Amino acid sequence: MEPTALAYLGAGLGTGLVALGAGLGIGRLAGPAMEGSARQPEAAGDIRTSMIIAAALIEGVALFGLVICIILATK
Amino acid sequence: MIRKSFFLPAFCLVLLTMTATVSARAAASGDEELDPIHHSVDGNYMDFSPIGKLELPRIFVTSSADEGLGIDFFLTSTAAVERGGYAATWDTAQGEGRYYEAHLTPPGGGHVLVDMSITRHLVFAWIGMLIVWLLFTHIAKMYKAGIGRETAPRGLLQNMLETLILVIRDDIARPSIGAKSDRYLPYLLTAFFFILTCNLLGLVPFGATATSNLMVTAVLATFTFVLTQVGGTKDYWMHILWPPGVPTFVKPILIPVEILGIFTKPFALAIRLFANMTAGHLVILSLIGLIFSFANLFGDGAGYGVAPVSVAFSLFIYLLELLVSFIQAYVFTMLSALFIGMAVEEHDHGHHVELSPTH
Repeated sequence: MEPTALAYLGAGLGTGLVALGAGLGIGRLAGPAMEGSARQPEAAGDIRTSMIIAAALIEGVALFGLVICIILATK
Repeated sequence: MIRKSFFLPAFCLVLLTMTATVSARAAASGDEELDPIHHSVDGNYMDFSPIGKLELPRIFVTSSADEGLGIDFFLTSTAAVERGGYAATWDTAQGEGRYYEAHLTPPGGGHVLVDMSITRHLVFAWIGMLIVWLLFTHIAKMYKAGIGRETAPRGLLQNMLETLILVIRDDIARPSIGAKSDRYLPYLLTAFFFILTCNLLGLVPFGATATSNLMVTAVLATFTFVLTQVGGTKDYWMHILWPPGVPTFVKPILIPVEILGIFTKPFALAIRLFANMTAGHLVILSLIGLIFSFANLFGDGAGYGVAPVSVAFSLFIYLLELLVSFIQAYVFTMLSALFIGMAVEEHDHGHHVELSPTH
């Protein structure tokens, strides 16, 4: 295979893996957060805030991966 | 009642489908091509198609061997080529003849040192600034006059904005920064409303998202970076350069990581905002593009068949974008407040004991 083809392949696979990882991470985070706020509705605000922060951090790592995929794809 | 509430959205959807299909067909039948990336990146013109395109001024700082540094100013890209003698080259044969899409090189063997041209994103950033400035000087005057402090807020605008201002102050700034929050509140409010306005301007017809430009988000993140470092207390620097409560042999590993962490935080801020604002637009345009892919592959009938589904999905993504606009403005402000809060907070005296309970 040509190097460009491999780069495209890598970018495509990488994007999928990034989405998978971010989905797993945010899913693991959001599930318990919802459970927590259902059990203790009075803590829902605090839980939401810390959930958004953690989700943003996970997203940040995912976006780093995505940027590398974009660089690969536009090479 | 149920019928009415069902028919109105359905009617809107049909209307939208027709408009999208017709206008996109008109665009596709000309020499234009529907390129999602092209629509979301920065450019030297404002796109009012199908009405037309407005070319923006070009400012170049040029450098050549015999004349040294020089500044060239042209009202449009076309003027730069026709009157300034600039040579135009294109990446693809598709854009040939359109000077606003060309790479311009000055005459006489020089080269462009800095391209300071006014671009679409810059124009929309200016519009965003203008809107925020107009709104908030008005609101600030009202608060100064006592409306909202001594009496209840008056009018739709003040009520609406006060809700958002209070969210920033009471849910973001005060819990994350603490005692010094009032010092950083103006920055956080400005960042939030500027990002929000820019995000929303991208969803307006003929609009462009200034925050989908990496340079804009990088500048915003730089502000947070500078504020964090300038506001950093002795404790903050101690935690980075000589982390307490950690065995000495771990410190050589931890210190570079901490130093790297100073830079990755604002970097992530910039990338996050940029990627989120770009991705939504790309998805919408790709969904619209599906119509043409289907029409090209399976004939016009398939194109018309896919159009309602495509438009319904893009409408859904559009509404999601509206949500993302608010969430990203919130997240940027929230994380900025957290980073600043981590740097400026005064630690309690029991802090080190807390880290090592056996002490």
